[in-house]
Amino acid sequence: MSQAELDTTQLLKGALDLAVLAVLAEGDSYGYDVVRRLRDNGLDHVGDASVYGTLRRLYQEGALNSYVVPSEEGPHRKYYGLNVRGKKTFEQSTRTWASFSKSLNQLLNGRNGHER
Amino acid sequence: MSASDPADDIATFAARVRAELADLPSPEKETLLEDLEQHLAEITAEGAGSLEEQLGPPEQYARELRAAYTSGQPPVDPVSPSLARSLQEAARLTASNWYREIRAFLPSLRPAWWVLRGYLVVLILAAFVDLGGGSDLGPLPSPFSKHGIAQILATGFAIWLSVRLGRRRGPLPQLGRVLVVSANVFVVLVAMFVLGNMRTLSGVSFDSTASQQPPFAAAFAGGPVTNIYPYSQDGKPLTNVLLYDQDGQPLTVQRGEANTNYPLGADGKVITNAYPLTQRHANGDPVVPPRVALPPWPSTSPSASPSPSPSPSVSPTR
Repeated sequence: MSQAELDTTQLLKGALDLAVLAVLAEGDSYGYDVVRRLRDNGLDHVGDASVYGTLRRLYQEGALNSYVVPSEEGPHRKYYGLNVRGKKTFEQSTRTWASFSKSLNQLLNGRNGHER
Repeated sequence: MSASDPADDIATFAARVRAELADLPSPEKETLLEDLEQHLAEITAEGAGSLEEQLGPPEQYARELRAAYTSGQPPVDPVSPSLARSLQEAARLTASNWYREIRAFLPSLRPAWWVLRGYLVVLILAAFVDLGGGSDLGPLPSPFSKHGIAQILATGFAIWLSVRLGRRRGPLPQLGRVLVVSANVFVVLVAMFVLGNMRTLSGVSFDSTASQQPPFAAAFAGGPVTNIYPYSQDGKPLTNVLLYDQDGQPLTVQRGEANTNYPLGADGKVITNAYPLTQRHANGDPVVPPRVALPPWPSTSPSASPSPSPSPSVSPTR
């Protein structure tokens, strides 16, 4: 594992909750679909176990509701969605992330000129 | 891993993940893993290849799962903010340099504590044995007192035991640890009480009828004051003169070799400051009032008559 990958992993660790909440804020989803949508958005390093573990934890913390949707051709799917608490957590985390990334961008721009 | 039967694949993979996470506390483990099979079935249905090809070895999957599930997020029932703040404070305190220095220093005091513990245990025992007794109990056993020798020997033995207990090898079982810690706390608390009451204990043993007031301890050239003989201005001896100090506390004098008979008040309490005190020598003879040389007053006597009028007089010599 290269240094760059390690860094992405580290960054993901702190931000995965927010990423998962963001996916679910777009619409209810099941585990494998959440992973796919994260990867589609460029988070290639995200592991299935990390996403599944995060979903289960957020569910246990009371931020998500879940329901099983029967499927004709494949297995039943367990969908997760944001409940009121989850939406609140998502809004707060979004603000925190915005101010954090703003600060970090300012810091980086100050040193390396304008590049984003 | 063979991709022959997806159901087998899922069951095997899930079993290996569960085995890896067997140490998680039960309710957490169940919440985390209750629909693992369902999730793996989704992957099998939508992905390509066996689970191990898609997800890597189950052991690594389990590690990642554990990390994601137990990462530093607030628990289900977040602790109250004030408790969280105190915990943070405590954490900062225990992380500080001086705390670590003290923690590193304390173990070197252990032998001193073992010795002190042995001493304190015997001190407590001596205090309880002595409660009704009345030998003079001090913080250090006197080799000349009644139980002093026994107390010294017992202290030596207790210190030896205490040090042996302290130097034992290997940790005690849980129950033993709890017992030893409770016993230590008990010894310290009771010893503090015993040491704090040492003066009172010896006071009680000295004379049970002793007054609670500290004696009027003026020591003159001739020795301590053991009695007071008041006279009126015209030279008549007065009896039962009640004396009080500037705080309104009854004045008492040093106990001499003579025994004092204090009168009892109507309320049953001993009156300790009615002078002169009625005293008898150890051999039973009454103490005779001293001869006094009364000063000659100037011809103009003070306007206010200082002569007190003693109320119901008790027989002067009893």
